[in-house]
Amino acid sequence: MKVELLMSLYPLLLVAVFFQVMPLFTRRGIFFSATVDPEFPQSSEGRGLLRSYRWQMALWTVLVILLTLSNVPGHPSFGRSTAPLLLVVGAALSYWRKFREVHARYGVKAPEVRQASLSTAPAKENFNVWITLVPFLALAAVAMYLHMHWNDFPLRFLAHWGANGELHGWAGRDWRGVYGPLLFGAYLNVVLLAMAWIISHGSRKTVMRGVTVRGVQFMLYPVTLTSILAALWPLLNTPLWLGQGITLVSIVGLFYWSYRKISAAPAKDEVPEPRGDNYWKAGIFYWNPDDPAIFVSKRVGIGYTMNFANKWSWITMAAVLVALLIPGLLGGPG
Amino acid sequence: MDGTLTLRVDLDSGVPAYRQIVNELRILLVSGKLAPGSVLPSVRRMAVDLGVHFNTVAEAYRTLAEENWLDLRHGRGATVVKRDTPTTPTAELMQEFRHRLRTLVAEIRAEGASAATIRSELRELADEVKP
Repeated sequence: MKVELLMSLYPLLLVAVFFQVMPLFTRRGIFFSATVDPEFPQSSEGRGLLRSYRWQMALWTVLVILLTLSNVPGHPSFGRSTAPLLLVVGAALSYWRKFREVHARYGVKAPEVRQASLSTAPAKENFNVWITLVPFLALAAVAMYLHMHWNDFPLRFLAHWGANGELHGWAGRDWRGVYGPLLFGAYLNVVLLAMAWIISHGSRKTVMRGVTVRGVQFMLYPVTLTSILAALWPLLNTPLWLGQGITLVSIVGLFYWSYRKISAAPAKDEVPEPRGDNYWKAGIFYWNPDDPAIFVSKRVGIGYTMNFANKWSWITMAAVLVALLIPGLLGGPG
Repeated sequence: MDGTLTLRVDLDSGVPAYRQIVNELRILLVSGKLAPGSVLPSVRRMAVDLGVHFNTVAEAYRTLAEENWLDLRHGRGATVVKRDTPTTPTAELMQEFRHRLRTLVAEIRAEGASAATIRSELRELADEVKP
């Protein structure tokens, strides 16, 4: 039961820490998703608002932890799903209230001047063919190695991994068991690249776009490495934790690098995003029926959010969701 | 075409967005910054960049095509074409121009600009925006 409780509290604390620092991941002149004077966040009022939000988040965290402690012994699933969801809802509520307050009391009206580049250069300048190709070549090379050592594979071997990294399933010496992890890695890489392509074609040329597309290309490498380690494990007993560790470090490193890029002083969007606060519902959801962009840069956090008023955004997100669910429906990677 | 050319639209202005696109592009066309043979971004790309509806950009391109500045062929985008500049504008057009100019001059005089400043500005603009 103690393990169950720890497994429930661990993600909760991660979510709580994330929401504590979330308001800092924003651009200059934006505070709680509202347009403000660039110096406002450092003012006493700005610091006070941030402090107040953090206190609210701390209270939400304590409340959810107490609920988890009282519910997990009888309902283990509460800690895994309901508790983090409650914390997210609480954070969204606190954030929304702060957005409204900042917008109403300290918000400034940014001139809605839009700008378009008259260059017809294609949007693919962010993609590097070789950087994209190397992971696929590595997967192909390992596939050839596995093919050459086909007979070295046991007839049955452990091959399924749970969320906690424990092995709990078997695979056979067939194409699915042997090549499954590599195919899964290649599939994930294709989905990641497809998302990067859609972002580069369905959004404006901003600093965020360059950072996101490059970041996604970079993520092909830890995904590929993890897949290769998993594929080689039955033969070489490769350290699986290494792939997971490198992936985790890569994600954290990527966030740090992205934050430095988007918050750097000279970072200037070639084609700026619409600036009106009225397009942001609750400070989180972008809603602009006149804007044909599928994705827009987030106001808080790193990456992109969808234009909820554009039907193509919904279609794209549904397609991505289906693409991510397909491997699960087909029975997983191995 | 110069890859750094940009087009600006002020959505807070009272002028419709499509009219602003037409006006901005016409300045670049008359001044030769957009030379014959240049290809403009697709309607979709321009609309995404400006964050305006596709029809707004399509209408602007159509207007310029009717003025013989652009060739709109399906699948080839909007291409700047060589346009035969009329030797003299029509009397109607000159009258319309005079009327718009008078409005603008009155507006800036009301803000304190002298006749000499206005003359100088007009001369500079006439020299700047020419084929």
